[in-house]
Amino acid sequence: MRINCRASWLLAGAVLALSATGARAKPLSATCGPNNDYVIGVAQANFKEPYREHVDHELQRLVKNYPKFKLVIADGQADVNTQVSDVENFRTQQVDLLFISPFESAPLTPVVTSLYKSGTPVIELDRKTTNDQYTSFVGGDNRAIAEQAGRYAASQLPDGGEVAILEGLPSSSPAIERLDGFKAGIATNPKIKLVAVQPVDWMEDKAETVFSAMLQAHPGIRLVYTSNDLAAAGAYIAIKDANKLGQVKIIGTDGLPGPSGGVRSVADGQWAATFVYPTGAAEALDLAKRILIDCASSVPRQVTVPTQLIDQSNAKGLYGKEQF
Amino acid sequence: MSLAAASAPEAARPRRSPVALLVRFQSLLGLLIVIAAGLVFSPHRHGRLLFLQPDNVANIIRSISETGILALGMTFVIIAAGIDLSVGAVLGLSSVTTADLLVNDGWGLWSTLPLVVLIGTAFGAVQGAISTRFRIQAFIVTLAGLQAARGLALIVSDNSFININYGHGPGSAPPAFAVLGERIGGVFPVATLVFILLAVAAVALLNVTRYGRYVFATGGNERAARLSGIPVSRIKVSVYALTGFASAIAGIVHAGQFSFGSPNDGTGYELNAIAAVVIGGTDLFGGAGSMVGTVAGAVMLGALANILQLNDVSPAMQLLATGAIIVAAAALQTYVGQRSGGGSR
Repeated sequence: MRINCRASWLLAGAVLALSATGARAKPLSATCGPNNDYVIGVAQANFKEPYREHVDHELQRLVKNYPKFKLVIADGQADVNTQVSDVENFRTQQVDLLFISPFESAPLTPVVTSLYKSGTPVIELDRKTTNDQYTSFVGGDNRAIAEQAGRYAASQLPDGGEVAILEGLPSSSPAIERLDGFKAGIATNPKIKLVAVQPVDWMEDKAETVFSAMLQAHPGIRLVYTSNDLAAAGAYIAIKDANKLGQVKIIGTDGLPGPSGGVRSVADGQWAATFVYPTGAAEALDLAKRILIDCASSVPRQVTVPTQLIDQSNAKGLYGKEQF
Repeated sequence: MSLAAASAPEAARPRRSPVALLVRFQSLLGLLIVIAAGLVFSPHRHGRLLFLQPDNVANIIRSISETGILALGMTFVIIAAGIDLSVGAVLGLSSVTTADLLVNDGWGLWSTLPLVVLIGTAFGAVQGAISTRFRIQAFIVTLAGLQAARGLALIVSDNSFININYGHGPGSAPPAFAVLGERIGGVFPVATLVFILLAVAAVALLNVTRYGRYVFATGGNERAARLSGIPVSRIKVSVYALTGFASAIAGIVHAGQFSFGSPNDGTGYELNAIAAVVIGGTDLFGGAGSMVGTVAGAVMLGALANILQLNDVSPAMQLLATGAIIVAAAALQTYVGQRSGGGSR
C-alpha cells in the first residue's frame, strides 16, 4: 500500500515534470504526501557543546508531534571530514530530507550542494553553506544578537567603565560574529573602555583561568561578555574566587534551559543577563512538514528566529515554566 | 612468512604459533570480518546492498584518506619505539598555511606546496632532534609540538579560517588545486589516490630498503642496533621527519578536499592515526609492525563507522565499538608477546 502510494506520487511527479517544464506547482520533494513515512537525517556539527545537545533534545522532543517523521542524528565530531561522511552516508541511505548545522560552512558546501541537486530538500540550521543550493535556512543572527547584548551592556554602564570579552573558539564563524557584534553594540556608549579580549574556546574551565588572570591585570573590570553560557559560568567562578561577587556583571549567550543552563544562573542572580540563541527546532520541523507532508512547492528561503533577553525581570518565571 | 622474516630480522622469533600468525594478520582479518558484517547487515535497496555500492565504497575510502596518510608516518615512528602526538596539529598548520599562501599571498602551487611540505618535514625533524639530543620522551616533545603547531597555525591564519576560492588574480587560488576535492570518473576520490600512492611508497620503504630494516632494529633493541653500527640517532630523527612529511601532505589534501583552511583542522586526528596503527598490529613498544596492517586498520575503522551509520546505530555506540576493537587488538598483541617470552621487548 505504502509502496503503491509512493510509486503513484513518483509517477504523478514524473507526469507533472513532463507535462510542464518548470511547472509552477512542482513540490519540493518528489516523495511527498500525507500517507508516507519519512526519514529526516540530521547532520549535527558535534555532540560536545551543550547548545548542540539542546538542539538535539528539542528536535527529539518536538518530532513526537509528527508521527510520520523519524529522525536520525549523526555526530559530526567537530570535524569537517566526519561531517562530510555523515552527509554522504545520508545520501546513500536516501533520507527524505536533510537538516544540517555545518561545523564549518565552506567545507560542507559541495556535499550539501550535490545532495540538494539530487532532489533531497535541505534545511540548514544555525549555520549556512556558502552558496544558494539549499531549500531553507533557519537560525538566529549571531551578529545581531551579540550587538543587542552590546547595547544592553552599554545601557548597564551608563557612566562607562572597563569591559572584557571572553570569545569562543577563534576562527569559528559564530565566535567571530559574536565578537564583532558585541563590539559594535558597546560602541554606542563611548565612555565604555574595552580592556581585554581573549579566546576561551567556548569552555568553562578555560574561561575561569583566563578571566582570573584578566581580573588580576585589570582590577577595574565592571562587566564581562561571554560568547556562550559555559564561558559565563567559568567567569562567575573566577569572580567568586577573586572575592568580587556583585562588582562584575556577567552577560552570557545561549540561554540554555535546565538546572545547569544559563536561564537558571540568571534566575539565581549569578549573571546579569543572557541572550537566547534560538534552536529553530520547531520552525525546522514545521518546514519539513510543509515540504514532505503538505507537498509545498515553495517555503520561505530564510526563517530568522529572534533572540530573547533573559534578565532579572523574566528569568525566574521562565525557569519555573520549563519542562524537562 | 618470508615477509614477516624480512620485516623483523632482529627479533629472530623462534616458532610462530597460530596466535602469532593471527596477530600478524589481525588487521586484515578484522577488515574481512567488518566487510563480512557489512554484507550481512547492509540495508538493501532495490535488491542491491547499499554497503557495496561504488559510491558508498568511495565514501569510505575518502573518509579515511587523511587519517590513513597520517597513520603511514605514524607506523614508522611507532616501530622505532616512539610516538608522535603532533600530527593532527601539523595537519592543521599545513592546511591553513597552504590556504593562506594560495589565497592571501597569491603564491602559485609550485612554490606553495613544496614549502608547506618542507615546513611540515622540518617541524617533525626538529621534534625528533630535540627528543633524541636532549633525551626527552617523544610523548612530551610531540605534546609540546602539538601546542606549538596550533599556535603557529593561529598566527599564520590571524585567528581566522580561510575559504579557498578558485580563479585567477588576487584572492583566488589556482583552479588546479581543486583537483584534490574531485572524484575520478565521478566515483574515485583523488584524496584517496594520494593515500594509495603514499601507502605503496611507505610499504616499499619499510619492507624493502635497508632504511626500513634500520627502523625495525632501532625500535626492537636500540642498544643492540647502536652496537651493530646503525646510526640510531639519525634514524630516530628521520622517522619524525617522515611523520611531519605525512602530516604536511595530509594538510594539503585537507585544504584541497574542503577548499578551506582552519587552524583547528585535524583536531584529534592523531588519536585516529594511532588507533589505525595499533589495530594494524604494530607494537606500541616498537620493533614489530606492518605497514599493510596499518592501511587495513585505517580502512577497517572507516568501514566500521560506515556500516554502523548506515544502520542508524547511535554515535555513542559507534565510539564504544571503536574503543572495544582497539582494546581487543592491543590485548591480542600482549597475549602473544607473553607467550613468545617477551619477544622484542
